[in-house]
Amino acid sequence: MNGLERIVAAVRFERRAEVPAVPQIFGHAARIAGQPLRDYLTDGAVLARCQLAALARYRADAVFALCDVSVETEALGSRLRYLADAYPLVEHHVLADPADVAGLRVPTPTSAGRMPQVLAAARMLRNELGDTVLVAGCVLGPMTLACQLLGAERALYSAVDEPDAFERVLDFAVEVALAFGQAQLEAGAHLCIVFDPSASPAVVPPAFFHELLAHRARRLLAGLKGHGGIANWLHIAGPVLPLLPLYRECLVDIANIDYCAAAAQARAAVPGLCLDGNVRSLAFVEAEPAQIAAACEELLDAVGPGGFILSSGCEIPLEARPECIDALVAVARRREI
Amino acid sequence: MAGALDRLVTLLLEGDSQAALAEGRRVRATGQDGPRLVVVALETAMDRMGAKCTTEHFNLLEIMLTGRAAMAVVRDTFPDGVGAATRGTVVIGTLQGDVHDLGKNITKMVLAAKGFRVIDCGKDCPVTDMVDAAERHGALAVLASGLISPVVPLVRQLRQLLRVRGLDAVKVVAGGAALKQCEAATLNVDYVAQDAFDGARFLEALDAVPQ
Repeated sequence: MNGLERIVAAVRFERRAEVPAVPQIFGHAARIAGQPLRDYLTDGAVLARCQLAALARYRADAVFALCDVSVETEALGSRLRYLADAYPLVEHHVLADPADVAGLRVPTPTSAGRMPQVLAAARMLRNELGDTVLVAGCVLGPMTLACQLLGAERALYSAVDEPDAFERVLDFAVEVALAFGQAQLEAGAHLCIVFDPSASPAVVPPAFFHELLAHRARRLLAGLKGHGGIANWLHIAGPVLPLLPLYRECLVDIANIDYCAAAAQARAAVPGLCLDGNVRSLAFVEAEPAQIAAACEELLDAVGPGGFILSSGCEIPLEARPECIDALVAVARRREI
Repeated sequence: MAGALDRLVTLLLEGDSQAALAEGRRVRATGQDGPRLVVVALETAMDRMGAKCTTEHFNLLEIMLTGRAAMAVVRDTFPDGVGAATRGTVVIGTLQGDVHDLGKNITKMVLAAKGFRVIDCGKDCPVTDMVDAAERHGALAVLASGLISPVVPLVRQLRQLLRVRGLDAVKVVAGGAALKQCEAATLNVDYVAQDAFDGARFLEALDAVPQ
């Protein structure tokens, strides 16, 4: 089996399939390749080369054509501060008021901000790798993009104080995600991860997700699948257990869990849904490889057979110890579920 | 007394700022003891929210709404700030390189509503600014917040910087998505708070001990 086949088999709960290993290596790839992070985040060709270097180093089952969580908001007019060796910070949010969303237009992915660089990276990775490993793109989910457009505090208060205007921001965010995600699929990504950490129950109550976000997630994921995505991967972190039963109706195929959600409980909550997770991401900096290996073994025992992608459930930190990532991949390679 | 405050506590927990403000004024108008009763209601509301947050029901939005309502009542009751702080002083900041200050702002509201005097060093804050503030304001603790992992080395510097100033007694507390994954010893801090209320409980215990 190659990497892509392992992931597809996991999604289908095929028995006796090999465990896919998908450490979420984003900017860490630049470290591996010895490239400045800023170049990685602003030049799709550099990003693709670094992802290929990380793939050669770790032999994992996926590469990621994604920069950071500020691509969409920058393309829409937010001002970023770029740093030498860290992710950019949003200095000025494009929306001061949710009602101002009426003045925004969905950006053209081939020309807006760094979106073309993401598309270039997806194209180069797919051309280079074909269907041997998963080429994953990424879009922000509606709640997270709303927070990136307004600032998190303003977004959350406006959800309560100005609900109609806030819902218009969410609807706009879905349109942005569809346009950007579909462009990534056309460029070569096998799927687009929908990254929506601000939809976490740690941020908003599950009822908020149910009422405001679930149907929008469904619309977004339907649009991505309908455009050729091989699976729908929803990435929400934190204590997601109360949300998981809603994922099926949202058309989720792969549900991300991080260390805040117990894997066995997540499996029990959605027995037929493929999960990915959930080794604590900071452990890749602080722990010993043997500890990572033990955590991975324990995790695979907990989730039982099929439907699982061994992962960090959150981004592997830039400064991660490579031997810790090796340990995760090594456990996956010697296990079968 | 408790019954008379129930409505204010409920409105605070519901995050209804306007109604809480009106109810706070009504409570204050009941007599000389009014401001103290408002403080009791604020602490009761925060304790109940804290108890709720020890279960699976923790979320930032509800805490923000309660915190905003509490701050509105505090400002209305103590417009010059005098009398609002019944506990010690703490310094809080989101460390340099990190602009995600939502968790810091929520913690600030929770602590202020519980009677702490909170010196806010803002976001993207150099550790030396926090140490300066601790020295200047006689803080009992410094609270460092970090959502992203690059701030970890900065947190580790805090205790040594405090020690150099002779501030060995000042406690260091870390919190935030990245930092709460670490052990206190790893970060060289006194406590790693899992959330705002967890941090508040540590500080309340600290504040109860004569320094």
